[in-house]
Amino acid sequence: MRTVKGLISRLDLELVAGEKAIGNDIKSVYIGDLLSWVMSHVKQKDVWITIQTNINVVAVAALGEVSCVIIAEGAEIEEITIKKAEQEDIPLLRSNLSAYDLAVEINKYLELK
Amino acid sequence: MKELALHILDVTENSIKAHATEIQIIIKEDIIKDLLTIEIKDNGDGMDEDTLAKVTDPFFTTRTTRKVGLGLSLFKTTALQCNGAFKINSKKGKGTTVVASFQHSHIDRAPMGNMEETIVTLITANKDIEYSYTHFSNNNKFEFNTMEIKKILRNVEITETTVLFWLKEYIKEGLQGVVKK
Repeated sequence: MRTVKGLISRLDLELVAGEKAIGNDIKSVYIGDLLSWVMSHVKQKDVWITIQTNINVVAVAALGEVSCVIIAEGAEIEEITIKKAEQEDIPLLRSNLSAYDLAVEINKYLELK
Repeated sequence: MKELALHILDVTENSIKAHATEIQIIIKEDIIKDLLTIEIKDNGDGMDEDTLAKVTDPFFTTRTTRKVGLGLSLFKTTALQCNGAFKINSKKGKGTTVVASFQHSHIDRAPMGNMEETIVTLITANKDIEYSYTHFSNNNKFEFNTMEIKKILRNVEITETTVLFWLKEYIKEGLQGVVKK
């Protein structure tokens, strides 16, 4: 099984919030920044990669039941977003990689035998 | 949302749910001030201060089927991300006014989108509500209101297919006349 925890150690991601839920398993990847669009397209157990960092990100993640959110390219995250992700048990991660590079690396992880 | 018209539709649907009988949509495009303002005003139920303080919190919703409601939260974020501002005024029993402004030339500002489709969708959603739509573009103005249209139509329903089709064309042409590309 592929989990958020496994992803964090493999990609050396920064765990910003939601540690309680890093046992979530992951199925696929979704990349998007237009929240209303993400809302209607993201799937359950997706790793969602975005550069948006406002509190609505947590709401969309909760609604879409994603396994975790990765903030790409080291974008700064608002304090309220971190607090809410902690409350909602949504793993909020960060990386300096671009969304594309993250997706490539996650794909390698998902295809591991 | 990819178009601002979709935000307008979303906010106006809140007004309908709040039993408004009159809804005003006012859009102002000012190129010199580099400002786009969208105002949606209704005479619906309104909100008390407690509710008003919570409506742009994405984890607040009046819906019971899920625990997050994002309409106003997204609209607010969209405005703020485009160097704009967002404000809601409301009084219980009086109505609610939502005002969002944007830097007109901001690269992340979504295009206006299809306003004629939005207005017709709203009329279809509830034909008894009186809608007025005013669109200012610099010194030009386009005005539309269902009360006047209904007066002309007399016994013909505003939701007749041919009427709706005509309205769509009328609004589209009216807007083309005032909004300079």
